[in-house]
Amino acid sequence: MSGHQSVVLRGEIRVAEAVQSTIQFPYKRSLGPVVGAFMTALTDRRIIGIRSGDRVIVPPLEWDPDTAEELAHDFVDVGPAGTVESWTWVASPTVQHPLDRPFAFALVRMDGADTALLHAVDAGSIDAMSTGMRVAPKWRAQRTGHITDLEAFVPGEEPVVPADDAGPVAEPVTMMDYNASITYTLPVTPNAARAEKANEEGRFLGLKCPVCGRTYTGGKGYCPVDAIELRSEHEVDLPQHGTITNYTIITPVQYPGQTETEPFARVHVWLDGTDVVLGYQPLLETPNADVHIGIRVSAVWASDAELADLASNAEGRLLGWMPTGEPDLTDPDLVDRIQ
Amino acid sequence: MPDSHEPSSDDIALIGWSISPMVRNTDKTEAQLLLEVITGAVENAGITRREVDFTCAGSCDYVAGQAFSFVQNIDAIGAWPPKRDSHVEMDGAWAMYEAWIRLQLGDIDVAVAMGSGRSSTADPALIYPMEMDPYYLAPLGTDAASFAALQAQALLDAGKVTERQMAEVAARCRRDAQGNPHAQVTGDFAVDDLLAEDYVRSPLRRHDLPPITDGAVAVVIARADKARELCANPVWIAGFAHYSELHYPGMRSLTSSPSTTLAGKAAGLEEAPVEVAELQSAFTHEEPLLVEALGLGADVAVNPSGGPLAANPIMATGLVRIAEAASAIRDRGKHRALAHSTSGPCLQQNLVCVLEGQTFKGAAK
Amino acid sequence: MSHQPCAIVGIGQTHHKKARRDVSYAGLAREAALRALDDAHMTWSDIDAVVVGKAPDLFEGVMKPELYLTDALGAAGKPMFRVHTAGSVGGTTGIVASHHVETGRHQRVLAVALEKQSEGNAQFALGSGRGASIGAGGAFAPYMRLYMKRTGAPDDIGPLVAVKDRRNALKNPYAHLQLKDISLETVKASPMMWDPVRFLESCPSSDGACAVVFTDEAGGKAAAADGRPPAWILGSAVRSEPSSFPGRDPVRPQGAVDCAADVFAQAGITNPLEQLDCAELYVPFSWYEPMWLEAHDIAAPTEGWKMVERGDTALDGSFPVNMSGGVLSSNPIGASGLLRFAEAALQVRGMAGEHQVDGASVALAQAYGASAQYFSMWVVASSLDPFGA
Repeated sequence: MSGHQSVVLRGEIRVAEAVQSTIQFPYKRSLGPVVGAFMTALTDRRIIGIRSGDRVIVPPLEWDPDTAEELAHDFVDVGPAGTVESWTWVASPTVQHPLDRPFAFALVRMDGADTALLHAVDAGSIDAMSTGMRVAPKWRAQRTGHITDLEAFVPGEEPVVPADDAGPVAEPVTMMDYNASITYTLPVTPNAARAEKANEEGRFLGLKCPVCGRTYTGGKGYCPVDAIELRSEHEVDLPQHGTITNYTIITPVQYPGQTETEPFARVHVWLDGTDVVLGYQPLLETPNADVHIGIRVSAVWASDAELADLASNAEGRLLGWMPTGEPDLTDPDLVDRIQ
Repeated sequence: MPDSHEPSSDDIALIGWSISPMVRNTDKTEAQLLLEVITGAVENAGITRREVDFTCAGSCDYVAGQAFSFVQNIDAIGAWPPKRDSHVEMDGAWAMYEAWIRLQLGDIDVAVAMGSGRSSTADPALIYPMEMDPYYLAPLGTDAASFAALQAQALLDAGKVTERQMAEVAARCRRDAQGNPHAQVTGDFAVDDLLAEDYVRSPLRRHDLPPITDGAVAVVIARADKARELCANPVWIAGFAHYSELHYPGMRSLTSSPSTTLAGKAAGLEEAPVEVAELQSAFTHEEPLLVEALGLGADVAVNPSGGPLAANPIMATGLVRIAEAASAIRDRGKHRALAHSTSGPCLQQNLVCVLEGQTFKGAAK
Repeated sequence: MSHQPCAIVGIGQTHHKKARRDVSYAGLAREAALRALDDAHMTWSDIDAVVVGKAPDLFEGVMKPELYLTDALGAAGKPMFRVHTAGSVGGTTGIVASHHVETGRHQRVLAVALEKQSEGNAQFALGSGRGASIGAGGAFAPYMRLYMKRTGAPDDIGPLVAVKDRRNALKNPYAHLQLKDISLETVKASPMMWDPVRFLESCPSSDGACAVVFTDEAGGKAAAADGRPPAWILGSAVRSEPSSFPGRDPVRPQGAVDCAADVFAQAGITNPLEQLDCAELYVPFSWYEPMWLEAHDIAAPTEGWKMVERGDTALDGSFPVNMSGGVLSSNPIGASGLLRFAEAALQVRGMAGEHQVDGASVALAQAYGASAQYFSMWVVASSLDPFGA
């Protein structure tokens, strides 16, 4: 799709397991006075630049690009047409590109401008493109104050205005939305895969460093103290009983992706007979007001039926920790731990 | 003729390095890649992690797919007891620059700089628009290959390069890469066959583009007295500089690279000829442009490693160039070499590192 | 080997607010930079190199923003650098910029640190978009609980810090939070967010930027002769340690101890309480004030909270901390570390206005990041030799 494929590969490692993770967020950007003026003008089917000395900078910046000097808001209309200074034919557009059919990206020097504007040219075919050709804007019918209000440039001198042109916006444009979405395919390392498998079987797997003796969880690949790799021969089964050594009660705040609505506890659990403290664990069957240091707990695993219903932020099959009913552990030397 | 004075304690040398395997898809975490190259680099330098006084890493959260991704990478350093350490959201070449500056303060002797990136985890064409102007460029999804193509077309229009020359660069790099155990894309390709392929982003064809690579690199640098104590053949940093240009490609000339020229000058490139130049020319047309900007003669071997066209671990590519240039000196008997790194659309920002072996007589001031 | 003196001759910051919708991303950075240049009596063309610091780019969705910011910050044709060390990044930015001068490589360096986090959502970015994010507060709450337990500190200590810092902020026209009615009662009545930390004990989310101009000895002396006293850097240090391993102490991190020992040694400080006149410490949650006082060996164990209780760390106390209102009053994450460093410099230059500590001549600044594992610190003074060797 993007053409970045290797022709000959050497040393390619096929990945056994991978996790897909999408980072997406609706960013809201404030434009400031100059970009805002440009975007507002777009809604009016005008392309503007800003004067800097005897030059007209397009697209306009708040500063002179060579000297950084602040520019007075001396805007100049440019165009309506311009000349292509360079171009490239995009044979297979990406989802982020302004057009979903083959098009050209081009640097267009608008008449009256001293710098070139980057945008799309909807020329139909690569054969219609050439450096030096004349292009004019094709305007979108509904304009909001966004660089894509200009749908693309088209060959010729005359702007193309749609029949159902909605006209300019009533108020100056000050904000824009930017919806970023990137999907990552993150390989699961062999250690992490084994830790996940153990989790699915209702077990905790630890990895014990042969040099310092510290034990790590979560399929960690190495000991950060000794900077050596940890492998399957270093694996140990960890106990499922422990003591709460610290905790917090979180009051949830709203954000895209939030799943909680009521305050929830997260506890640190020190596993019996080990140096392992699991941080920020869910605590079950315990009113928030009753949470305290010293409670003896054991791991609770989801049944197969429950597993299907689990929210995506759960720790695999581990539902959380539940008080065992044993007397609290009170020795301060033993419970004074976070890590 | 360079001023002749002996290397002083102010001077800094590379004393070891390690380049990871360069692959299309790794199943290792970025931290694991780093752990291996750091171990390799310190062993190559004949030291342990304990003796490293300062570490600096180059990496990028958006390439990694996670905020604060470099925090996990700290585990690869062995930062216990705690270390003087820093991180730049730039190629490892700039991490090495920070380390070089740090060592010049004179209170510590040994630093490790590293770069890492797994580009395989997402489509670069969807990530790189996000490093562009947030209002005018990012919303158009303008990816790195599109910018490179615009620059290539400008060079073609100006008569400074031909598509055949670009294909020759691609063929030469992949052929030279066959001798490089760290290369990913290698082979013997006939230029006419390459030119018969379709454009991906005209005038760029598949062979004009770099591969997608996962990889990492680490280098050990040391102040002069320590370098000589530890290493029979230190590779001296004779000059090191970087410069940037304005961001928006439509506001600057695309047929020259003035920041590269400035960086070369500030790095003392003019003082003596180099035999090898490792350039971060990830797109074929960038090579002749950079060669011209640096004033390199026809006798300079460009990218004997194969360069980024053979392996392009983004965020490490530039530092790999430095390590490869250092190898040319230490392992293949060259005397003076340069390495180049770049960042941003159409070569916006450029770094030059000039290295010398036995002939070194003191760094450019 | 070159370790030349470095002077701070220009400081600028924005008015920090929940959302700076009046400016573009570059506009925010320029606002601080222009104030710093103005303060330094310089223009863009006087600067040789620019260092930018920012926390995760996921906060704004602009990757490697130094590229877009290059010409906006006058760096076209100059070296431009971008550091990122989590929350300590602002501090690291200042330190890296100072090194450019201290090595003699550059004469005048501009450092700019910023965050325009209202454009995204910090909780989202910190949790990488997953549900039930515990946020920074949730991550640090157990550390604060452990400090309280170890030292036997009374519950009021955190709220006392929260009140003190917000009252200081009322004297800082740039500070985000201007809570005129803040009191112990209002803090203790505010909702519990991450037990034991309440809403009014925690930092806001702010848009803001900070800029600092560094120059060499000649430049510093010239500014002084011109009636614009500089701040001189007596020492700077950074330390990092791994996030977690069994036996790590995140309440008194070794990195915090070592970083302080390093910077105090450089600055000739053997008795921090006596030799430092004041400090700007990165306190995003109230309890971090006594915790850092102890972790950096300024106060002996348990003395940190006693200093707070006695009022020692108030603006008119014996060891004022966070005179500017601190992170508790303004937190544009990428800039917060540089703000600490800048505020310390303002103090020793006598330019902190209403929140000035009388006669302050030696000040400490500190920033930390991630799981209390990145540390950057510096000591600045009104002269290069304040303790008279």
